[in-house]
Amino acid sequence: MTMSRQGVQPTEVIDRAAKLRFRWNGKRFSGFEGDTIASALAAEGEHIFSRSMKYHRPRGILTADYWDPNLMVQVGDDPNVRAGHRLVRNGMDVRSQNAWPSLNRDLKAANGLLGRFLTAGFYYKTFMRPQWLWPTYERVLATFAPGGKIDIDTPHGYHDKRYTHPDVVVAGAGPAGIEAALAASTAGARVLLVSHEHAVGGHLRYSSDAGDQGALAELRASLDASDVEVLTDSTVTGRYEDNWLGIVQRNHPIAVERLIKARAKVLVAAPGLIERPYVFEGNDRPGVITSGAARRLINLWGVKPGERAVVFSANADGDAAAADLERVGTEIAAVIDARSGGQISSTAGSSRAVEAVMANGEQIDADLLVMAAGWTAPTSLLNMAGDRPVYDPAAARFFPSDPPSNVLSTGGLAGDADLDGLRQHGAETGRLAAARAAAVRHRLQARTARALPVEGDEPAWAVDERVPLGRDPHPELFRADTHGMVDMSEDISSKDLVAAAHEGYDSVELAKRYTTATMGPSQGKLETVNTVAAIAEARGETISQVGTTVWRPPYAPLTLGALAGRSFEPVRVSSIHPWHEANNVTLIQAGQWLRPDHYGDPQAEVRNVRENVGLIDVTPLGKLDLRGPDVPKLLSLLYVNKWMKLGIGRVRYGMMCAEDGVVLDDGVTGRLGEDHYMMSTTSSGAGGVWEWVENWLQTERPDWQVHVTPVTTAYASINVAGPKSRELMRRVCEGVDLDAEAFPYMTVREATVAGVSGCFMWRIGFTGELSFELHVPAGHGCHVWEALMDAGSDLGVGPFGLEGQRIMRLEKGHFIVGQDTDGLTLGPSTGMGSLIKLDKDDFAGKPELAWAADRPLPLVVAIQPDDPDVVPEEAAQILRGDTNEILGRITSSRFSPTLNRSICLGQVEPHLAAGGTKLTVLLESGERISATVIDHHAHFDPAGERLRG
Amino acid sequence: MAGLASRLRRRPPKYSAAALAWKGLRGEGWPRVWRDCDLQRSYDAVVIGGGVHGLATAYYLARNHGMTNVAVLDKAYLGSGGSGRNTAIVRSNYLTPEGVAFYDRSVHLYERMAVELNINVMFSQRGHLTLAHSDASLRTMHWRAEVNKLGGVNSSVIGPDEVKQECPSLDTSDHPRYPIQGALYHPPGGVVRHDAVVWGYARAADHMGVEMHQKTEVTDIICEGGDGPDGKGAGGRVTGVRTNRGDISTPIVINCTAGWASLISTMAGVRLPITTHPLQAAVTEPVKMFLPTVVVSGSLHVYVSQTDRGELVFGASVDPYANYSVRGSLEFTEGLAGHVLELMPGISRMRVLRQWSGLCDMTPDYSPVMGFTPVDGFLVDVGWGTYGFKAAPVSGEQMAEAAATGRTPKLIEAFALSRFDDGELVGEKGAASVGH
Repeated sequence: MTMSRQGVQPTEVIDRAAKLRFRWNGKRFSGFEGDTIASALAAEGEHIFSRSMKYHRPRGILTADYWDPNLMVQVGDDPNVRAGHRLVRNGMDVRSQNAWPSLNRDLKAANGLLGRFLTAGFYYKTFMRPQWLWPTYERVLATFAPGGKIDIDTPHGYHDKRYTHPDVVVAGAGPAGIEAALAASTAGARVLLVSHEHAVGGHLRYSSDAGDQGALAELRASLDASDVEVLTDSTVTGRYEDNWLGIVQRNHPIAVERLIKARAKVLVAAPGLIERPYVFEGNDRPGVITSGAARRLINLWGVKPGERAVVFSANADGDAAAADLERVGTEIAAVIDARSGGQISSTAGSSRAVEAVMANGEQIDADLLVMAAGWTAPTSLLNMAGDRPVYDPAAARFFPSDPPSNVLSTGGLAGDADLDGLRQHGAETGRLAAARAAAVRHRLQARTARALPVEGDEPAWAVDERVPLGRDPHPELFRADTHGMVDMSEDISSKDLVAAAHEGYDSVELAKRYTTATMGPSQGKLETVNTVAAIAEARGETISQVGTTVWRPPYAPLTLGALAGRSFEPVRVSSIHPWHEANNVTLIQAGQWLRPDHYGDPQAEVRNVRENVGLIDVTPLGKLDLRGPDVPKLLSLLYVNKWMKLGIGRVRYGMMCAEDGVVLDDGVTGRLGEDHYMMSTTSSGAGGVWEWVENWLQTERPDWQVHVTPVTTAYASINVAGPKSRELMRRVCEGVDLDAEAFPYMTVREATVAGVSGCFMWRIGFTGELSFELHVPAGHGCHVWEALMDAGSDLGVGPFGLEGQRIMRLEKGHFIVGQDTDGLTLGPSTGMGSLIKLDKDDFAGKPELAWAADRPLPLVVAIQPDDPDVVPEEAAQILRGDTNEILGRITSSRFSPTLNRSICLGQVEPHLAAGGTKLTVLLESGERISATVIDHHAHFDPAGERLRG
Repeated sequence: MAGLASRLRRRPPKYSAAALAWKGLRGEGWPRVWRDCDLQRSYDAVVIGGGVHGLATAYYLARNHGMTNVAVLDKAYLGSGGSGRNTAIVRSNYLTPEGVAFYDRSVHLYERMAVELNINVMFSQRGHLTLAHSDASLRTMHWRAEVNKLGGVNSSVIGPDEVKQECPSLDTSDHPRYPIQGALYHPPGGVVRHDAVVWGYARAADHMGVEMHQKTEVTDIICEGGDGPDGKGAGGRVTGVRTNRGDISTPIVINCTAGWASLISTMAGVRLPITTHPLQAAVTEPVKMFLPTVVVSGSLHVYVSQTDRGELVFGASVDPYANYSVRGSLEFTEGLAGHVLELMPGISRMRVLRQWSGLCDMTPDYSPVMGFTPVDGFLVDVGWGTYGFKAAPVSGEQMAEAAATGRTPKLIEAFALSRFDDGELVGEKGAASVGH
């Protein structure tokens, strides 16, 4: 076959004045603005574009559009680019995929000789012995993976998303789709028209018929004059619940691809029809093309597809292709008319080109075979809406059956008609879509709280009074009397499918999975119906009886980059962060937060807190402002302990359990006023507890009067800890008596600190020292921190980080939810079972906790290794003696500078929980050490004298 | 003659390179992988669910216990549920000693499967990395590694540099929002060709006389003597099942369904603590091999591996709401893509080809429910959550033993239904929200 550029065609989309240069496998080529990669290469005589997956057969143009399985190429670092669709750009570096060492000489083509042994699924039947060789076999098999190459250094690039709420989205911009868009827009709907192709017009674009061209010009002019928003080179990739649509836009000026998310009130599916290849021996030989490919090559890009053609035609498109070919000087060796029983059975020639066609029993010399064998209806969007399309044997394709009433179809998907008939149906569909969209719009507005009042009654749901499109009879053409390729991307022949069906893989899903037919990049667009037909034939059944596979999203592939869009993962830091940065901080990632871990020497920080006074930035602590008369009831419901009698100015510790009794969170809550409380949560639990509270209030106790406001970042929080903390606080606080009697442990006061009013502070801490936890309006956090540092310089004040705090809380034996507890740790296991008040009316987790109350549960205990210098790893297992039986594990472990020894918390079986019990701990090194359970959780100051101060 | 014919049928040709060559030369086809049978009126045991669990159970009933008068019923085609929708990952690096012992047995059975079933299931033990992006998750990885080692399972915590060595396409720099701080590395973990496991068990069971019935939907379970309506419920016993193709009498019914496990059990009057959630997955277009291991990130809710066909297969955690729908959502693919690009920024131009979802039956402790129920003769092998495929061989083996002997094998004692009354939950929930 010899392809070449012809003289100017009236319908062509190329700009012959704009020459573009690009490379193809390293060699220089040129094309024109408007050329696809494939048309530019074809115009210069290239006719092999790829190698097939399994047999590495040379492959040429088949459909010359997006769905062409033979035109997958690598463009720079972009793999699997559709050369039948992607436009040529200056400087493009285009390479063939799946060929080695080169497209022209591919060593793996030797597989073709083994074809009879490499039947579909052959790999399931071999490479089993010897077993140790399988990894080697696998490596060899994996070299057959098709597709392009990934460069892992490819930059993510710029990707964006757009959200839109049109009334009507029309998927497909052929004559019916355009008319639908225009009619809907005229009826007052906001319309988005999405064209998969680079320009609107559908099949009219490549029709040389003057009437068609006139209609196209008229439709385009109407669109230009309308309010319809038109997206070209874009595809509706998925229809999800309630007409939530994904649309990929491939021609965005900046983004490689853009994902548009549209909530359409009505979706009109008008994707047209996809031409179906015919199955016969040699149907994948370069030179065998669809009638659509021939017409596109000639009419869009002025490329003559061959010198001498056989046209196999079962419909008007085949006839039109023959006329187009003749016009550009291709000799028509024969038109084999399938409507009058004409038949082709094979092509002959080299692996690289057609040389002759066997038709009606005779051999006809030709370098081109054009097939017009019928259509596949791309019903994907209807399938995604829950429809199960039905096969009509008289028309030889599938039709919609019963999609939801906010999904309408028009154009070839809905039936057949002449151009006027299609346009008419499109327009009626557009009007129906607009009417239904108006009803949806009315309903939405009426039901939206705080929306403007809607005028009038909701319009009635418009009745579908469209005149249905007809169905033209079409011969059922799937396979000739010879076998050929069904799935070009997977190298699956009709013989493979028949063999699979005979082997028992005889439902379409089993056959698909066994042979991999329809699982490649074209996802069934070209091969589904032929696959079903081959199985039906093998089973002696009809296509309707066999049924099809389910089309799943996306309709056309879309990049991970487009799906991901811009990553929105903000880093959270407190308002005191600049001070930390200026003071030698080492930061640690704690959930979304970056927090000070230490400032050089955490052990020294601990000693300073125990001896003088230290400051820690605890801003990430969750804070929920609770207001209303029913707050005590809420607290009683969510905490395991009692809350009805918390006095104003008092603070209480509470533990929360989930409904399965597992520890969820803990923290203190203080009462600031009559109906005003402040709840604190763990830093990691801040978001979850807020959701938990809202969930209870909104779904279980909607009648309770409680208003919840998360104020975690509204305050900067600073814990001032150490024996000299009261002295330091005296120097900066106004309006509050800080004496131990006036402001005792577990109380809360409002105060002005360093001139900042609106602060509150509570007398609690995690370190076991006399502490004041200050919460200051966030904007003043750094000011207050610096004021404290200045005021306390003579007291030895210094900062301490998360690591110092972790050491001190471990010295005090305070557990951390999620570290010392896990997904199965019930409330009593924390050793704080006495907190759980089962005599309360009801609270989250009560039934489970009541059930657990008298059961032996694992317990959190304080443990000290007998060798004080050994610090076991957090996760070290506690074993029964020399056995491997697990009896518990170390959950927290540090070296204590205060006690000058290693200290731990751990979870152990209940019989090991008593003080003095000897444990065997397995270190990660494999060494077993002995350790002892101590009496109290607190390794240090068990009586808690220091914190009361 | 019929007897002879059936014996001959049960000695089908073995799969091998030589047989492929011989048949290729002679242009011969292969016999049916399993027979099409008429539904009998009675069986010694009926397995509901023609996925990997049901087929493995039937296979081991025949192979280990000589029970061959067994029917496997499926309302669609074999492997149409979770067996064909999972992401085919196999591993044994669990958190609890019970889980480790159980899945370790499964990995061993998978290792032998190709030879035993005479079908290449392509178990690719390419190594399995569970990434840690915080010190908290690193601590859990250490915990798992310690429990794994004690159970004799190859598993250890490695640092970012070693992660990079095992899997160069991962971004182990400090650029990502949540940098990789280390990983639990489990060399025996990998992926299996899941459909081949379905066909392999079906074929091997068929050879021993087990019948596979597709498009056979169970509409009721017939019981007598129970404390509920129609003789169902505790204290009763099973006498048969009702199907869309007629009634079958049988003393043993094994519920090996997923997605509908609680509905099927209700038919026998047995309530299960199960909620059903969809789990979504997606696959990309193929590219040349670049991802050598299975990669999981719990914090980013994603797991990914590259098939031998070159596609990337992704999965996430289960959807947060209970639902029987298997239609995918757009948000799932968006979140997935965002997270995958955090791990591997260089693959932004790979294209998603297809998305789908399957149903996961979640239990309160993320562990299965296996063995006997208060209804005599009604056994369950359900509640597999996101772990079902990995467990198929060992589950089949153990369920077959339970059904054939009437005793609960030691390996599955911890997974008994009664644990929800006794409070002896199995703590896999503590492991991670993404369990792959």
